[in-house]
Amino acid sequence: MLRSISGNEAVALAAVNAGATVITGYPGTPSSEVIGSLWGRELSGVEVQWSTNEKVALEIAAASSWAGQYALCTMKMSGLNVAYDSLISIVYSGCTGALVLYVCDDPGVSAGMPEQDVRGFARMSDMPVIDVSSVEDSYTLTQYAFSLSARIQSPVMVRSVTGVALSHAAVDLPDMRPALPRPPVLVKDIEKFTKAGAKICVDQHAALLISLDTAQALIHEDGVNPLSLAAGAVAGLVAVGIMGAYLDEGLALAKARGTLPPLSTLWVKTTVPPPVEELRALISACDIIAVVEENEPYVEHALLREAFHMGRAVKLIGKDDGTFSRIGSMDAASVAKAALLACGMPPAEAHYADTTAHCAVRPIGVCAGCPHRGVFMSINDAIKNLGYKKDDVVVTGDIGCTILGMSPPFHTLWTEVSMGASIPMAQGFYYAGVKTPVIATIGDSTFIHGGIPGLINAVWNNTDITAIIMDNGWTCMTGMQVNPGTASAFQRSPQNHRVDIANIIPALGVEHFAVVDPYDIALTTKTLQDMAKLPGVKVLLARRECAIQANRRKIKYADIKVDAGKCTFCKLCVMKTGCPALTVANNKVAVDTKQCNGCGVCASACRFGAIKKQEVQA
Amino acid sequence: MNMNIFMVGVGGQGVLTIAELLVAASIARGLDCIFYPTKGMAQRGGFVKAQLRIGEKPGGPDISLGGADIVIAMEQNEALKAVPYLKQGGDMIVYGYRWLPTDAMLGRAPYPDATQVEAAAQTRQACYTYVPTEKLMGGGGENIFLLSASQKHTALKELFSAEELFAAVTQRFPKFVESNKNAFRCGQQV
Repeated sequence: MLRSISGNEAVALAAVNAGATVITGYPGTPSSEVIGSLWGRELSGVEVQWSTNEKVALEIAAASSWAGQYALCTMKMSGLNVAYDSLISIVYSGCTGALVLYVCDDPGVSAGMPEQDVRGFARMSDMPVIDVSSVEDSYTLTQYAFSLSARIQSPVMVRSVTGVALSHAAVDLPDMRPALPRPPVLVKDIEKFTKAGAKICVDQHAALLISLDTAQALIHEDGVNPLSLAAGAVAGLVAVGIMGAYLDEGLALAKARGTLPPLSTLWVKTTVPPPVEELRALISACDIIAVVEENEPYVEHALLREAFHMGRAVKLIGKDDGTFSRIGSMDAASVAKAALLACGMPPAEAHYADTTAHCAVRPIGVCAGCPHRGVFMSINDAIKNLGYKKDDVVVTGDIGCTILGMSPPFHTLWTEVSMGASIPMAQGFYYAGVKTPVIATIGDSTFIHGGIPGLINAVWNNTDITAIIMDNGWTCMTGMQVNPGTASAFQRSPQNHRVDIANIIPALGVEHFAVVDPYDIALTTKTLQDMAKLPGVKVLLARRECAIQANRRKIKYADIKVDAGKCTFCKLCVMKTGCPALTVANNKVAVDTKQCNGCGVCASACRFGAIKKQEVQA
Repeated sequence: MNMNIFMVGVGGQGVLTIAELLVAASIARGLDCIFYPTKGMAQRGGFVKAQLRIGEKPGGPDISLGGADIVIAMEQNEALKAVPYLKQGGDMIVYGYRWLPTDAMLGRAPYPDATQVEAAAQTRQACYTYVPTEKLMGGGGENIFLLSASQKHTALKELFSAEELFAAVTQRFPKFVESNKNAFRCGQQV
């Protein structure tokens, strides 16, 4: 029966049906729904968990696969940067069950963080990487990855992209059937599972290269990379991963420009190992080959290498010649352009007038009632009250909703690097000789993920910084996942122990530690001012639940009313809070009660006492 | 027949729900489809886009510039940005709702009026429909109202009857049949 299912959900379904008994990951758009779709389901014998970070998640999945289990580990591309230290060692050891690593790239950057191509990691660690190009592929190729991993006894990466991971298609897939529990198999093999000594490492490398050769032969035998040689064609088109899904549409667009000569096509789904036989067959037949490949031209370069070794002077159209950019995503129009150029026809250069000049940019900002708003307003107020200008005080930012303090109207944050980087970055500014206060901001999940080592470093070296941990109880930007600090009532099961950040900070040796409610602007501001004057490491834990999550439980803290008689229409409340629940009409400010949760930070921004906060009677 | 539908709006308006209802109607009919939602983080008030491709072998998730048979816009500012995606001679339907970002509210950023959106659509020879917010009277979801108006005024009617779409609505929201019936009726009367 047809049903609508997303690429991520298809990966989860495929993994469970392939026999995965351990599924771990860390949230990251666009990969989060794999575990998200399994969350709360009764899957007897299958461990599904959000781990504290991607490296931890991978290590858990890998060790399970070393004990004979089938394991899946999921993350976004930036997560693989975190997990890579372990990945390369794990790949050198292989596995005894099966290990599939699912990673999503984000060509065109719809979710933030550097536009990178994780196939590069697969190349560096000589592990197979399979590109999925559709929801159906996400199912069949994830299953295939498990079977390949089991056959070569080595981990396999499945790489998706935002457009595949998040899109939903009407597909006919089997129901979810978890495998019967598989008893662990303990293999004590020091030469396989440790890295102690040159001989062990070199032998592992040799074994790895053999497993990659085996993968190449199997992938060819299994026909994973469909090649279609057209009779009499001297032109070829190579589509990589998702670009294959645009082949039919792109060729139809090209044909609308005129009759195309015969064209051979190759749909590459495995960048590592590249489908050498198929590439060579295409090179033998064609004088000109165009490659459509998002992100980095890895397959284009594999083609170039094979052509060179074959002594064939094939003309290549792709990224090296500047036809396509390494930046951004591609679509059917890119396929049409490639096909036309390969056929020696002029590409269609349609012109689309840019209409954005007359439009307002919709900056990413914090929601109505978001507790982070109170922190950004308090930092800005504290800086001013201490007699500094905004450009005098460095405030480092971190990953997640907390980074929205870079947006208008706050413009509070200066930097964003990677999970947990805010606290070490603050120390760097301190050591650079910055004499004004240096502040770091970080969310709860980010702090647990990667912030703790940086804070220990600050305490150890007694650096003069203030770190604000903005604890809203959830991992929010990725879609409201639980984390170790989430309230006990919302943990996966009563067996989960909540890890309270308020207990971690004093245990690290932080002497100046305070907990505030970020809705209380006056107290938060005053505490920050006091901390700025103290030497050493100061930590402020700003604690209030995410407004979206509280709204889902119908929590409204107060009624906010604007006294029209007192409102002078100075609009300071709008300018200071940027709250989407404040609207401006008929020379008055009004409150959109549908959005407002009564946090009341706008009341503290009004100089005329025109905004009234009335506590809701319980 | 293949149909590409490009939908835009702002988080909280229910743009993605319109797309999900069309997916449900497609599945009920046994039509292939692919739906690609894009939303700006977890926040309300951010840009939201839904790309829906219905028909045999709908292909990849993204609709190319100039590739949409229908553009459905729930917000005026986002409507103008979506115009380049419309096919020459395609259908465009715009709900007259204005959701001003803070800078536009303070007069620091431009914000298009309805005539600018229509003029831009005309450069693509669009079959253009403007839906004033006042036409929804007596409750029900704005998105359901616009879905109904889109069925009435765009090529959507070649794929789905009003009854089919309303059936998808009631199946999805069994508790709000009466209010959505009203919204749907208002949409048909636009």
